[in-house]
Amino acid sequence: MTEQSQWLQLQIDKLAEQQAKFTDRAFWLALKEMVREQDRRNDQLSGEVDGRTWRPDKW
Amino acid sequence: MTTLVLVSHPHLADSTSQQFLKASLPTNADIVWEHIESQAHLDIEKEQAQLRQADRIILQFPLYWYAAPAGLKQWEDTVLTRTFVYGDHRYPLADKELGIVVTTGMPAKAFQRGGAEGLTLDAALAPLAAVAHRAKMTWLPTFAIHQFAYLEEPEKLQLVVDYQRYLTQTQPDSLQSRQTWFAQKLPGMIDQLPPEQQATGRLIEAEFAQQQDDLDALADTLSLIKERDDD
Repeated sequence: MTEQSQWLQLQIDKLAEQQAKFTDRAFWLALKEMVREQDRRNDQLSGEVDGRTWRPDKW
Repeated sequence: MTTLVLVSHPHLADSTSQQFLKASLPTNADIVWEHIESQAHLDIEKEQAQLRQADRIILQFPLYWYAAPAGLKQWEDTVLTRTFVYGDHRYPLADKELGIVVTTGMPAKAFQRGGAEGLTLDAALAPLAAVAHRAKMTWLPTFAIHQFAYLEEPEKLQLVVDYQRYLTQTQPDSLQSRQTWFAQKLPGMIDQLPPEQQATGRLIEAEFAQQQDDLDALADTLSLIKERDDD
């Protein structure tokens, strides 16, 4: 997880905690899940870029 | 996009899951909500006009004996006349999306061959899918809520937004569509925050957009590499 994303998730958590309405809290927490999903996809895509760039048969 | 939500339940006021879904309806969205059994009599013209105006039609009900409640069947038999659906070869419902929100008393694992029900939800809903097919509509993957009473708070919080997305998000439900849905919803959510929280809301919005851009850039890089690899 990048520092940027960690910070973002923390901010979302804080904001979610402050929401009195259930459906508002639901939105911010779902956004946090969305950010986690972005993170996972980012890791996977970066990994694939690395893997394809550093192929021994292309050295 | 206009979404028409048609709810069929013989005792709506007593249903905690239906009340929960009603309270979860998205705000700032073009939603028409109707409880079928509350209509003293079905106004065919009004019902058909609502269907014509909607881009996405949601049929929402509890599963009773592997089917929708009788009220929905009555609605179908009254409103979906042959002439309206296909008789005059005009297909007014063509290309509209049809989604099913179904609640069940049994867990998801019961709805498979060898499961306690021995029947998949797709199989149980086949008659409705056939109507969609006949009307040249697009059938959406079913949104099933199993054993609502057993859901814990985090699951209920997630359900609110999953349901809202099912009603209003572009299909298919890809990462791209999900990101776009949240990005479109964020400004309205920030506006309704108390003033002292709005700055944080805007920072979150900017950072979220940045993450989205980073992902797009990575995907572009990857497709360039793949193109080169193909050569």
